[in-house]
Amino acid sequence: MATKTATSDVIPWDKIDMLLRHRTGRVLLAAITALLVYVVLSGTGIGPEETSTRIILSMVVGCLLWAHLVYGAWLVKRELQGLFVIWGVVTVVFFLRFLTPGDPTIALTPPDASTDVREQLARRLGLDEPLYVQYADYIWNLVTLDMGRSLRTQVPVMDLILIRLPATIELAVAATLVAMVIAIPLGVISARRRHKPADYSATLFSLVGISTPNFWLGIMLILYVAVTVDFLPTGGRSIGFAAAWGGLLMEGDFDGISRWFAQLILPAITLGTFFTALLTRLTRSGMLEEIGKAYFKACQAKGLPETIILYKHVLRNTLIPIITVLGLQLGTLIGGAVITEFVFAWPGLGRFLINSIHSRDWMVIQGIIIIIGIGFVVINIAVDAAYAYLDPRVELR
Amino acid sequence: MISARLRRSLKREFRQSRMAQVGALILVVIFITTAFAPFFAPHDPTEQRIGTGTTEDMSYLPPPVFSTTENVTVFEDGERVTREVTTQGNWSFVLGTDRHGRDILSRILYGGRVSLSVGLVGAALAALIGVPWGLAAGFAGGRVDDTLMRWADVMLAFPSLVLAIALVGIFRGTPFHTRAIGDPFVWAANSDFVPNILIPRAGHVAEMPESMTFPVTVTIVVALVNTVWFARVARGEAISVREEDYIKAARSMGTGKLTILRKHVLPNSMTPIIVLATIQVAAIILLESALSYLGFSGISLSWGQDIQRGQSDLRRGWWMATMPGLAIVAAVVAVNLVGDWLRDALDPSIEGEGGV
Repeated sequence: MATKTATSDVIPWDKIDMLLRHRTGRVLLAAITALLVYVVLSGTGIGPEETSTRIILSMVVGCLLWAHLVYGAWLVKRELQGLFVIWGVVTVVFFLRFLTPGDPTIALTPPDASTDVREQLARRLGLDEPLYVQYADYIWNLVTLDMGRSLRTQVPVMDLILIRLPATIELAVAATLVAMVIAIPLGVISARRRHKPADYSATLFSLVGISTPNFWLGIMLILYVAVTVDFLPTGGRSIGFAAAWGGLLMEGDFDGISRWFAQLILPAITLGTFFTALLTRLTRSGMLEEIGKAYFKACQAKGLPETIILYKHVLRNTLIPIITVLGLQLGTLIGGAVITEFVFAWPGLGRFLINSIHSRDWMVIQGIIIIIGIGFVVINIAVDAAYAYLDPRVELR
Repeated sequence: MISARLRRSLKREFRQSRMAQVGALILVVIFITTAFAPFFAPHDPTEQRIGTGTTEDMSYLPPPVFSTTENVTVFEDGERVTREVTTQGNWSFVLGTDRHGRDILSRILYGGRVSLSVGLVGAALAALIGVPWGLAAGFAGGRVDDTLMRWADVMLAFPSLVLAIALVGIFRGTPFHTRAIGDPFVWAANSDFVPNILIPRAGHVAEMPESMTFPVTVTIVVALVNTVWFARVARGEAISVREEDYIKAARSMGTGKLTILRKHVLPNSMTPIIVLATIQVAAIILLESALSYLGFSGISLSWGQDIQRGQSDLRRGWWMATMPGLAIVAAVVAVNLVGDWLRDALDPSIEGEGGV
């Protein structure tokens, strides 16, 4: 007790506490922390060298702090659970490697290499150690953010993944945006005009949409759209997000942004179609269920315009089951991204994964699967948090 | 398991829903034509006609009615001559031919055999593993439930396609990766035991390929990665049934846990599992085609592989990549329509992939 009284003289705890209870206060604190991290990073010169990476890093720190201030103990509990899942993924992936037929040193050495050379290589890669030592080493290296080196190119796996990750995130976000922008209005219209031609065509579209393999859809888009429309490339990623938007904002360069848009639109549609279809179905059935409830009648009786009732009151209640299913379907999004990247020669993680499997580069395969697992866990926690935001009755425990 | 009331409900829903009728019709047509592919396929799906020996060059034939024109440079009388060559479709090859002059329609029928059997076997396998898993977790509750379902979380953290790619990549080299299965119809047409009068078009059937390759690893892998959905649904059902009075009654009479699970819990959880299994057939067909498209299934005659080859020939013609994809869409739409019909008729609340 004595220490507490002593510090409270110096630091106004009660005022800080009041600040943290307020929404703006938390945001302010997180922003200040992010700024501080950035200043420290660039001042001392430790950590990443590029300015953009530093900015992203400090923003991540700020967001994490904010999330912990808002969600507190619940978030910590979920993080521990998530760590358990990630540990499971790491373990499964690590032991899967030893089920692989064939000695990795055979793939890495020329066919005429002597057993002596192979043994040397095995020693250098640590493959001659007992399994539990290798496992412990791998886990420890992971904790220090080291995923080992690619067996083929000897480049650190972390670097290989980090340069490809932005392309994949960009594609996934674009596809989700395409899906939301098209599907939610379509689902609302469909529910509003039930058993009318608009409803039937939306239902038909969503049926075909969830039944179309996305790699084939991508090929069809290349064949029938990209070839006839000069503006659209048939694949590849010639300009990144930061370069395109930076060019627009700093130099007023429209060429970069239009190239960025053109290269992104077909892959985004390819990946987004399944989700558009799924979301349309979900929105429609959710809206139909909500429209039957009493508050809808109350809103109507009050004389609210139908558009406002539907988009403001009904849609918000419909979003809760939608978000649940979307969280469950995240795996489909990531798997779809893998194959979309392959079709459109998109230089992201998915195409890299497939190439690595073809060249049997196990260190890279492990790394990519672990990164995907982490992404999955993080987004699932975010989905649960969104749940509580949308429905105040939901208590996070 | 299927009561008279259920059957009535199924019939009523089927009569009312035009979509269910369309789906069932497409599915029946696809089933019959692929199961009896040797009778329906107009040509041998693997026979090449590239203009060597006595055969005529039939490669890159467009479907009838369509035609392609291209500039061909030939060496004639000591100088290069560029001519416009028009290729006209041939009614013998209704959907055209690929780069080796193989008939696309026949390939689609034979490829459908692979896709549908992988879908059915895979979904059955996934249910066989997943349902006991989920029932055990839900019925036992407590720590058993926690342990079993944490593993389900780990499995969900792997996207099914990524996990399938990784697993197939591992087991690609094993000898049981693919398995040749003899075609009973072709065997019958070729053997002396079965009189040929019994077999329609016996001469035609006898010339068909004698066996089809079945992707064993891919089937097991797609089943494994989809197991967790069955586990989730079965667990939910078991939990909802667990506290019912008849379970308590059975327990108080001293019935063993396994018997209760088998006789009371499983039959009462069956309807959502059946609906899920139908939807899973569609999901597995899509997953299998993606794996074969990426070249991981180890078989050359499948819808996904044909699309991949068609993609590399996109400049030569649109039909090679388009046709097998349309077949996939038709099959999956049909399965989904049947799934919707079952769901509407049985009306369980169901979660899982596509379970909307």
